[in-house]
Amino acid sequence: MNCSRVREIIFLYTDNELGEELLVSVQEHVVVCPQCARRIDYTRRLLTVVRKGCTRTRAPESLRKRILTSLRHPEVEWEG
Amino acid sequence: MPFVDSLYNTAYRMTRNAQDAEDLVQETYLKAYRYYDKFEEGTNFKAWLFKILKNTFINNYRKKQQTPPQSDFAEIEDAFESRLSSDVTGQMKSPEEEILEDVLDEDVQRALDDLPPDYRMAVLLADLEGFSYKEIAGILELPLGTVMSRLYRGRKLLESAMLTYAKEHGYLRSGEPSKMRSSELREGSKEQK
Repeated sequence: MNCSRVREIIFLYTDNELGEELLVSVQEHVVVCPQCARRIDYTRRLLTVVRKGCTRTRAPESLRKRILTSLRHPEVEWEG
Repeated sequence: MPFVDSLYNTAYRMTRNAQDAEDLVQETYLKAYRYYDKFEEGTNFKAWLFKILKNTFINNYRKKQQTPPQSDFAEIEDAFESRLSSDVTGQMKSPEEEILEDVLDEDVQRALDDLPPDYRMAVLLADLEGFSYKEIAGILELPLGTVMSRLYRGRKLLESAMLTYAKEHGYLRSGEPSKMRSSELREGSKEQK
């Protein structure tokens, strides 16, 4: 494992998508490479900022009603 | 009504318009109802709904989408890559690390809105909805490798745009510590929705 490879697969690492073998290689590399450790830490913080920034809202009540109404009369809605 | 909030949030981020988002979600449910016999029991129902949402979005809304010219993103990415290569030694706190602390929720949303739809969808599925890469590949009907590259490029573009917007606030001048932290600013700013 080297630094450029870590950079390539950094999101797979932070997303817990790496297979066992690569995961262990990254973990071993990070122990001896503070730059990559920092990069991983930064990437995690970055993704936290993104997740937090994606504000979630409840679907409007009017939409729920519209859907329920259209499901009761699907043909009308569908053809309309 | 299962997953209606999740579907609505993704639809809103994809259409960038509340009315279109409602129409998109409504049509998704109608199609799910109509084609329910095509759903394979035991598979992921949420992912199935998102697949319908994605296909409906592509068919109905994509042509209406206005995306900034690709060259803008190419420039952003070039700038990012050059920063990356200059940061190999990274000893002090890097500019990215500093600026990240000043990113506001509005910056994230603005940067997301700027992303080309293909990248935006991949990022939303991963970061807003928490789908696994395999689930995203199923929803987008793409090979796993394409999902990985869309997520990589999409997040890099997102990062670059977020940091640019944060810098534009002017709260952070080069070489000086931030005068106001994002937490202080957030208290004074109401959510824009």
